[in-house]
Amino acid sequence: MDEVVRASALTKRFGDVTAVDGIDLVVRAGERVALLGPNGAGKTTTLLMLLGVVAPDNGWIEVAGHRLPKGRSAAMSEVGFAAGYLPLPERLKVDEYLRFYGQLYGLPDPDVEAALDRFGVAHLARARGTDLSSGQRTLVGIVKAVLHEPRLLVLDEPTASLDPDVALRVRSGLQALCRDAGTTLLVTSHNMVEVERMCDRVVFIASGRIVADGTPADVAASFGGADLESVFLRLAAQDLPEHPFERGQETERPA
Amino acid sequence: MSSAVALHGRQLSWLRVKAVSRRHYYVLLRAPHRLFDVTIWPLVDVLLFGSIAAFVNPGHATAGRLAAGYLLSGILLWHVVYQSQIALATGFLEEAWTRNLLNLMVTPMREVEYVAGVMMFGMVKLFMGLTVVTLTALGFFAFNVTDLGIGLVPVAAVLLVVGWVIALFVIALVLRFGTGAEALAWGILFVVMPLSGVFYPIAALPWILRPVAEALPSTHAFIAGRALFDGRGVLWGELGIALLGCVVGGAIVLTFLTRMLSTFRTRGYISRYT
Repeated sequence: MDEVVRASALTKRFGDVTAVDGIDLVVRAGERVALLGPNGAGKTTTLLMLLGVVAPDNGWIEVAGHRLPKGRSAAMSEVGFAAGYLPLPERLKVDEYLRFYGQLYGLPDPDVEAALDRFGVAHLARARGTDLSSGQRTLVGIVKAVLHEPRLLVLDEPTASLDPDVALRVRSGLQALCRDAGTTLLVTSHNMVEVERMCDRVVFIASGRIVADGTPADVAASFGGADLESVFLRLAAQDLPEHPFERGQETERPA
Repeated sequence: MSSAVALHGRQLSWLRVKAVSRRHYYVLLRAPHRLFDVTIWPLVDVLLFGSIAAFVNPGHATAGRLAAGYLLSGILLWHVVYQSQIALATGFLEEAWTRNLLNLMVTPMREVEYVAGVMMFGMVKLFMGLTVVTLTALGFFAFNVTDLGIGLVPVAAVLLVVGWVIALFVIALVLRFGTGAEALAWGILFVVMPLSGVFYPIAALPWILRPVAEALPSTHAFIAGRALFDGRGVLWGELGIALLGCVVGGAIVLTFLTRMLSTFRTRGYISRYT
């Protein structure tokens, strides 16, 4: 099977804090992988390194066959990214925003309406970023991420601000995309139920290290728990250091 | 035009450059206060310096006429630096203010494509600003810019590059120090302006500052600009020094910018914008 992500010995330190500590990760084409772990575990730092936004102190990364950082542009043309915490630029209407990003991904005239329709939000096309609820903004962000039908879709806390009904719509849209286009999914989430429904593989990170990797059922069993929720609670109970990339924190840590 | 052009062996996507330009067009359209930079400030500047010129030129004495001409031609040329600098620097800051940097950085867009796109729309803003300056100077003070002749074009071109180089320096500082450095987007111009001898020969500066002024490419461009007003034609020597200064300064600033971008990635400063 094709490997969409290959990362070896990834390490990242922020001052005295080791946010990611020698992670090896391979994600194969078509897999739906969840990166899980408590706050401060190193999930977002890992994602940002895989996206070429944060440079690792050690280790190497290949995305879609392109080695980072040299092949960043080619690699990112095969990747879509959305995060539940990112706003829409307030000066753009939704269709302008999507057309802008579509063109950055090389689509001269992206089919914005069809993309919005996939997630049931075609009526938002002419709305401004400031007029949207946080859930709607998240949905539009996800539409942006899948507009160019990427090989790899990276989502950081995609349904954090969504009500159950909208979250279900997002899950269905993503599952359809993965099924129809063979898109590989790499997602972080704190919603264990959602992960169990959406992903066929979970990678648990704690203190910057991978502590479990397998199907949701296997991982839960390996920790002696009935489900992922109990594994999560067990890991979260440990005393873990905070680091600057956890959602909601805007503080920086001096290097 | 083809969708991509070669740049140092790589492809520069014209589609992405246009997309960035259009994005900044929407910003100007939807943020009327941004129009201040391209309409109100040029108008205010011409009124201010034009009025001072009218005050010092009551009897049309030679010195008064010169001072008045230097003030008006100086403010016109200064707006080339101002508009090109502000358009590029605030274009980047807009992404920081709207927390759009992470979204942009995970696209295939290269840094050079982004900068080219902002510069391209910046040229539109520059044209708007200069139109206001030109018409205000003509309407209120009977100062006709076209009297300076075609030699104005190379002088303005060099000052355009000066503005871009300053803006890239500001962007590098914002990458390193965060939006706390945004005050420099405007503030740095207030340092460059007096040192460049926009309205006077740099011999008028305190002696200790003259070497600094000499080192600035903008100083030599303004010397060439005043020569146009004096009817001495284009001072290609001064323009050559200015251009050389731009090349050297540009190379230093690009190296600094690349270093700061690397620091941004290494230290994970994207966390400031998420």
